[in-house]
Amino acid sequence: MRNGDYSPNRFQAQADAVNLICGAKTQSNPENTVGVLTMAGKGVRVLVTPTSDLGKILACMHGAPEQTPGACAPLSLGARLSKTPRLGGYEAQGPAPCLEIGGEMNLAAGIQVAQLALKHRQNKKQQQRIIVFAGSPVKYDKKVLELIGRKLKKNSVALDIVSFGEEDEEKNEKLEALLAAVNNNDSSHIVHVPSGPSALSDVLISTAIFTGDGEGGSGFAAAAAASGFEFGVDPNLDPELALALRVSMEEERARQEAAAKKAAEEASKQEKGEQQSTSQDATMTENVNPGTSEPEKKTHDLTDDENALLQQALAMSMDDSSSTVAVRDTDMSDASADDHDLQLALQLSVQESAAEQSNQTDVNKLLADQSFVSSILTSLPGVDPNDPHVKDLLASMQSQSEQSKEEDKTPKEEENKSSILYTVLRGVQAGGACNGI
Amino acid sequence: MSGESASALQRSQVDLLDFVDWSGVECLNQSGSHSLPNALKQGYREDEGLNLESDADEQLLINIPFLQVIKLHSIVIKGPEEEGPKTVKLFANREHMGFSNVNDFPPSDTAVLSEDNLKGKPVIVKYVKFQNVRSLTIFIEDNQSGSDITKVQKIVLCGTTVETTDMKGLKKIEDH
Repeated sequence: MRNGDYSPNRFQAQADAVNLICGAKTQSNPENTVGVLTMAGKGVRVLVTPTSDLGKILACMHGAPEQTPGACAPLSLGARLSKTPRLGGYEAQGPAPCLEIGGEMNLAAGIQVAQLALKHRQNKKQQQRIIVFAGSPVKYDKKVLELIGRKLKKNSVALDIVSFGEEDEEKNEKLEALLAAVNNNDSSHIVHVPSGPSALSDVLISTAIFTGDGEGGSGFAAAAAASGFEFGVDPNLDPELALALRVSMEEERARQEAAAKKAAEEASKQEKGEQQSTSQDATMTENVNPGTSEPEKKTHDLTDDENALLQQALAMSMDDSSSTVAVRDTDMSDASADDHDLQLALQLSVQESAAEQSNQTDVNKLLADQSFVSSILTSLPGVDPNDPHVKDLLASMQSQSEQSKEEDKTPKEEENKSSILYTVLRGVQAGGACNGI
Repeated sequence: MSGESASALQRSQVDLLDFVDWSGVECLNQSGSHSLPNALKQGYREDEGLNLESDADEQLLINIPFLQVIKLHSIVIKGPEEEGPKTVKLFANREHMGFSNVNDFPPSDTAVLSEDNLKGKPVIVKYVKFQNVRSLTIFIEDNQSGSDITKVQKIVLCGTTVETTDMKGLKKIEDH
């Protein structure tokens, strides 16, 4: 069992294969139960009574690393045998014993104990199956094995044999005879696994033992082998999930690209933002406060409230989606139901932004047009162009617009323009009498 | 009085085939091609060519659950002269027995079939033991000639049902 003819050694390869099979069985049908027992060593010992809890089985399999056996163990081989009744549940009891490499395996006794354990399964409706991992040579006669096989068949117990380890003509013959005695309608199988580079588990996956009567064994195996499907989800098994994953991946990618672009612009904008805000701080705060009930849209890296408001307002107007623009429209139209001039101004800015990104320059020009702005402001009730606040605003707008001429494409600049307009309007509302809001 | 009722009972024996719960019918050691429905099911069992045959050895263990509680009066087992069953043990209400523990329990009744029985003469069972039968297990221990394969051509169960409520017949009383 310590031979290296199966990687890493026979014992380990066997353990891996057992784990794999237990997993496959428990997954293929929730009512399956699996138990494990060892045949070599002092005697047959049941490690786990049939249970549907894979964790218990694996825990017991990892019980303890192999320990060197006693004095005379000529081939130091041990084999393991597991039994899998199908379609039922059963609770395992007792602590998990450790795994040692014992002497040669006792096939007959092992099978008989397995049969007994299956007989006492809790759910009698389960079908009975024994899977034998035969690593050691078989020391029983063919006749004895045939008798055992017949008994198994009589009690409708199916038998799967995994023959590995010692390559022995006799052993093969005996195992084949055993299978022939047990086999009833091809429910029993035998697999010979020669030593070689491929792991024991891999060879088993493709065999009938795994795919066992057309259950979901193959599905489990595919998943266990880390299928090459995108996102690790098989489109055949779960098309909706695969589609959802793909779509969200693309969305994420697009979002990240946009964010990256924005970040680049943000970096260039930040410098300008610093310059402008310092001059406006004192005067702008008053106007800003009434307008703090801004809509949601946020952008990161805001130096102060004013910038935040400006950017928010611009973002709202710059936003391509008509829905947000419409929201904006309703907000303001509610607020200024009686104020047609306000509406006009708003519509103007909204239309400008909604139409074309490249038309921002127009807005720029409009806003930069002092006369235009003052004309709007004068038409607004309660606004005195000579109001120092308004004057400051206009001044800041001017400076900004000059700078912006160099930076046509920067959206943040645009934000400043139209949001300043907005701020002005809001400031007007707050400062002036209530306009039928 | 009792004689009358006894004969009345006899007359009202029905074939319990309608009360067999087919989802739970099992037969151990049956051959794949010659299985239990050949001997039990209406139509199949009339066909002389279709038999129930044993597989690994000559014993057969048949478990028949019923949909409701019945009283078993008699059984008919038909088979060929040579390979037909000889010793038949009946167990009432013992489910999930195996060949290993079939001899651990005393049977409710044992019958040794003669040639007449194999031709169709019913075997009257110990009625008192089969008053309250939910499932019947038939253990065929050996056959007439001692050959390796036992063949059964027909199995008929006769008896009566116990008055039980048919839950499907229960109807909700509508409020008027």
